[in-house]
Amino acid sequence: MERRPVRQVSVEAGQDCLVGHFDAMASPCEILIESDDRAEAARLTKLAAGEAWRIEDKFSRYLAGNIVARMNSARGNAITVDDETASLLDFADTLHTLSKGRFDITSGVLREVWTFDGGDGLPDPQAVKDVLQRVGWDRVTWRRPVLTLQAGMEIDLGGIGKEYAVDRVAGRLREAGTCSALVNFGGDLAVTRAPRQRQAWRVGIEPVSAANNECNETVLEIATGALATSGDSRRYLQKDGIRYSHILDPRSGWPVERAPRSVTVAADTCTEAGMLSTLAMLEGYNAEAFLDGEGAMYWCRR
Amino acid sequence: MTERKQTSVSAALAAATCSLLGAAPIAPVQAQEDPGWDFNTALLYYGEDNDRVQDLSLNILGKRYFVDDRALSLGLTVDTLTGATPNGAIRQGVPQTFTRPSGSSVYTIPANELPLDDTFKDTRAALSVGWEQPLGRLWKTSVGLSGSFEYDYTHIGLNGSLSRDFNQRNTTVSAGLAIAHDTWDPVGGTPVPFAPMLDVGGTGNKTGGESKDVIDAVFGVTQVISRRLLVQLNYSFSNSSGYLTDPYKVLSLVDGVTGDTITRVPPPGVEGPSHEFRFESRPDDRTKHSLYTQAKYYMGGKVLDASYRYMTDDWEIDSHTVDLRLRWPVGERSYVEPHLRFYTQSEADFYTISLVDGTELPAFASSDYRLGNFDAVTAGLKYGWTTRGGNEMSIRAELYRQTGSIPGDLLIGNQVGRETYPDLDAIILQFSYRFSR
Repeated sequence: MERRPVRQVSVEAGQDCLVGHFDAMASPCEILIESDDRAEAARLTKLAAGEAWRIEDKFSRYLAGNIVARMNSARGNAITVDDETASLLDFADTLHTLSKGRFDITSGVLREVWTFDGGDGLPDPQAVKDVLQRVGWDRVTWRRPVLTLQAGMEIDLGGIGKEYAVDRVAGRLREAGTCSALVNFGGDLAVTRAPRQRQAWRVGIEPVSAANNECNETVLEIATGALATSGDSRRYLQKDGIRYSHILDPRSGWPVERAPRSVTVAADTCTEAGMLSTLAMLEGYNAEAFLDGEGAMYWCRR
Repeated sequence: MTERKQTSVSAALAAATCSLLGAAPIAPVQAQEDPGWDFNTALLYYGEDNDRVQDLSLNILGKRYFVDDRALSLGLTVDTLTGATPNGAIRQGVPQTFTRPSGSSVYTIPANELPLDDTFKDTRAALSVGWEQPLGRLWKTSVGLSGSFEYDYTHIGLNGSLSRDFNQRNTTVSAGLAIAHDTWDPVGGTPVPFAPMLDVGGTGNKTGGESKDVIDAVFGVTQVISRRLLVQLNYSFSNSSGYLTDPYKVLSLVDGVTGDTITRVPPPGVEGPSHEFRFESRPDDRTKHSLYTQAKYYMGGKVLDASYRYMTDDWEIDSHTVDLRLRWPVGERSYVEPHLRFYTQSEADFYTISLVDGTELPAFASSDYRLGNFDAVTAGLKYGWTTRGGNEMSIRAELYRQTGSIPGDLLIGNQVGRETYPDLDAIILQFSYRFSR
């Protein structure tokens, strides 16, 4: 269990903007607001944090009593979910099909055998096989709004949650104010509307790791749309010279081979950007070819 | 921003996201890597043999891209020209003395040598500024301003272009227009056409500054034929009007039988020309048409770039240029690029060797070797590499050889055998460095 951080917001001055800060979904979150009105910035930051915390509370797999906990503790019984959860499950269903089974919200249980801490502890292949019995969206019966999950299987919306929250927060801010804001949840970000006093928001993509700092921070300019990054900067295993990325292929239960260290994708929404970067990581060696084929705007690091 | 073609996954993903969020995205993504400034710098040396023209130039072009592919470019060129250039007079069996363009002193050319004016020395600074702006997804425009300044010559220009992509960006059609106004303020004044070269101190043959206006238009099509082949076809039109004469070039006034230059004697105590020389005269209008075609062929890392240009103008100069480059990768980070260029041109209709004494002057005449009948070959090699920091460097060395011939019917009497086209060999060395910051 992760300790829940203290929920508070703060606003401070940034470069020609005001920056609202809070923590949500285990990430530092910031809202860059093109305004010099502190009261307005505080109002928008509170609104953003409120929406982020609502989504975190509702969909975090670490919290007891929420919809995810109810689904995962149903012991094979059918449960009826609310509209928002149903939309996320529909989305996950589509992604499962689009990725030919590589994107699977039931793959979280593989964490029982895989610990990506930079060490060399590979799991016993038999243990992986055993856990794999409890993985597979195709084993789930989903008839909106009714979900039936086999006992022992679990749903983890963590692969979608943060990008979804960024888009939801951006949508709320767009409705609530006229100034441009950049919603940045630990590198997954979206712009509410094109800024007026500048050409674009400037965002840094961090180097892959401090040890690999021959590649400098890349600065991106974004006027509209969103960016999302998938990567394994810290989360990986290394044994016998082979680096195992934390991106697991739910069909085999083993890490995707020769995946890039990170993939950043720009798209109209953070959700699309996040899914394209995740699907690219799941393509492993073919990540760039996949993104090229999709006509995506991306920055890949290996 | 590159056009994003929506294939199955991204289109389905966009639809799924739209229903998840209950709304379509309000604006398409506009993002790009912030490139800062991209600088292209080059140091170029051009040197002709036999102490003729030497040019050293430094070029800096900075380009800054903004979101949505708008770009600002700023260019600076500084160059220094020194050396001697043929003044247009023919060889003689005796030494020849000429008054310098400034009119303040003389120089003497030994017998049987090609008369070269060694007063040639100039420093030029050129500045340019440009702005590129896409209009929507398929249209692109650019506008630019240029100026160059040297001791006796000033150029101011304005240019603009418009292009549109068709056929899933496989076809680009473009049009460009440039106008320029150039002003001559030659050392010692602008010579009156066909006026005689006077003694030191004489100014009766010169007037003030002159100018010309130039309009250039280009229409082009670029077509991607396949993943390997890209072709381009351009038509361009150019019209210059105004003062098109070279104020420093003269013609020898010769005897109609011997072909030797008429001698003269400056008054006692005064320095001046030893022979009769007349300043040249060119038409005040020139229209050029040219067709240019280029193909780039990509084959496993190697790139063959071949082009051909045909130019014709109403001075009756026709020229053909064939240019071939082959870029050949060497290892991961470098390449070599051999270069061959062939050029040939016919002479202008008013090109001549000398003016005949006692006959009616033609309307126009020039003996400038650049308006003559000549061929030129350039052969060179470039080596380029990418530094660890991702910057690009290259060195280029080329040899240029220009050989011409004088049509036999232009030679009179003793000129036959004595007068030859002033052939030219030159070397070109270039170092270039491209970096971003």
